[in-house]
Parts: sequence; C-alpha cells; structure tokens
Amino acid sequence: MPQYTDLQLDALRELANIGSGNAGTALSAMLGQPVDISVPAASTLPLADAVEAAGDPESPATGVVLPICGDIEATVLLLFPPEDERILSTLLGVEPGTEDGCSALGEIGNILGCSYVNSLAEMTGLSIEPRPPVTVADMVGAIMSSVLAVRADSTNLALLMDSRLMVEGQACELTFLLLPSLEGIDELLGRLGLG
Amino acid sequence: MVRMGELAVSASADEVLVSIGLGSCIGVALFDVRRPIVGLAHVMLPAAEAPSGPVAKFANFAVPALVEEVKELGATRLEAVLVGGAQMFSFSREDGANIGARNDGAVREELDRLRIPVRAAATGGSRGRTVRVYVDGVRVTAREVAGAEQQLYGREAP
Repeated sequence: MPQYTDLQLDALRELANIGSGNAGTALSAMLGQPVDISVPAASTLPLADAVEAAGDPESPATGVVLPICGDIEATVLLLFPPEDERILSTLLGVEPGTEDGCSALGEIGNILGCSYVNSLAEMTGLSIEPRPPVTVADMVGAIMSSVLAVRADSTNLALLMDSRLMVEGQACELTFLLLPSLEGIDELLGRLGLG
Repeated sequence: MVRMGELAVSASADEVLVSIGLGSCIGVALFDVRRPIVGLAHVMLPAAEAPSGPVAKFANFAVPALVEEVKELGATRLEAVLVGGAQMFSFSREDGANIGARNDGAVREELDRLRIPVRAAATGGSRGRTVRVYVDGVRVTAREVAGAEQQLYGREAP
C-alpha cells in the first residue's frame, strides 16, 4: 500500500493549485466574471472514503468525466450540484437540464479539464491529453464509485486532488477532482524529483 | 450503511441495510427463505485471483463471504436479489467499459455455483441506484436519483 510523505502531498497540492488556477482563469474568461479558487486538497483515501469525500452520496449532481491518457492515466471529474448548475447555465445563457444545457456543461468541463491538464503537462514535461468528456446526471455516490471502479483492480487507495471554483458574486461552486492511477502518481512525483 | 467493498448481515427486525449510490457496483442481497435473516454486499469488481482490500470488493470473494455470514446467523436455504451494475459512462474505448455488466455476470455465476436462486433484480441500464434491505418483512427496495423507492421483493408476514 503506497504512502506518500507530506512533502510529496505538498507537491501534488501545488500541482493541483496551479492546475485549478489555470482552469479558473479559463472559466472566468468564458463567463466574463472573476472566479475564486479554494486552496486545493490532496489526500489519499481508502476507496469507500473517497466516494464520501465528494459529498452526500445520495445527493444529485451533474458530473463531467474526462479520461486522461498519455504518459499518465487519470480521470478528471467535475461535479456540479443542481442549483449551481442552474446558475452556471443561466450565466452561459443556456437552459439548464436541456440538451443544450447539458452540452454546454460538457464543454465547460472540457475546457476546464484541458486547461488543468495542460498546465500539469507543462510543469512536468509529461505528454498527456484528455479524451472527449462524458456528461452524466445522477447520484454523487454512483458517479464517484463508477469512476473509481475503473482503476480499482490493482489498488485500494485513491488520491484525490480536490479544488473548488467559485464564481464571484454568485452562489455558484463546482468541485474539480483529479484521480490519477497509482503509476500516474509515481510518474508525476518522479518528474518533480520527489519519486 | 454498507459502503463500497463492505458487507453486513442482520436478523434484528428494526434494522435496514443500505448501499447508497450504486453505479457500476452491484448490491447483492441474500436472505433465508424462511426466517428474517438478511445480508447485503456492496461489490465493486467482478473477480480477482487473490483477495485484496475490503472483503466484498470482488464478486468471487464477496458472495461466499456473505453466504458464510448469513449462515452464521442461522440461515439455511438462501435466495438473492440484485441491484446495480449500471453502465454510467459510455466511453468509446474499452477501458472501464461495462464494469457494471461484468459485475452482474460475475455475481450471478457465483450464485449459480452456490445454487442460490435470484428472485428479483434491478440491474443494468445507465442510472445509479440505492438499495435498501429491510429485515422486517424481508423487503428489498431500489431507488434511482430523484425517483421513488420501488419494492423488488417482499415477504408476507407469516
């Protein structure tokens, strides 16, 4: 079972910080409004705890999932609670819950995910690219557990790199999770000279 | 609360076993055909060669472990109800494609091997589900996001 030192977790947190900073800038440009970013958390959790870390597992949310391929395998997951999705859709001028609304949310996920991943790639010199996003509206627990199950064959731990983006002056918040594979984490740490 | 990879059993009339937000995971409910003795396993993946992590992570270890635990409470002849095993994301590539269906297949194979009939199931599809197993009346219900709780199985009071 891999354990990470505080130094390693700090380094991953710093990566998440820069990544979500770039994603926040992209969101801000799209909306024409300032976006605040919470200090990201990086933590390793048993899988069942990781499911719960994303919020009440029975609460509904829209999730945008981007699989990341290349030198590292990871999944980016953006979670929008329904009320925040409504506000965000209004800011974008689309009707929430409709096909247009859904595809706009997927596009936001795509742009945020790409800017996050690109900044990781730049910092670490890794060649990584996101695949097209899949958008799904369901229970938070069902979304999280299904994302985690994909990589759970060989591990019982998940590394969560968790940031929150908040649109200033609006009660609109979204959760941004990066879930790298274990090999992916080692690769990231190796590139930072902390492997 | 039966979280991912966990299992629980009960014979106390006031207890309810719950797994919230099953996506590709599958909830295996087992109960004695006569007495109100129930169990629930929250299975994550189809099979592994060796057990690793929580006891109910892999179907091929979870089902026998659950059988053993309900039998310890006095269950003799068992029946099952299955909930979950959805395909939440439809990625074009194979990676992670349809873990839900493979979980469903693996659980049924294991139950078949142990000669435990499946009395009802709400599996497959693309929606997440919450499963509740009530000891009282040996009832099993499933609920989708923002949906109503639907009874899949229940026994008349003797």
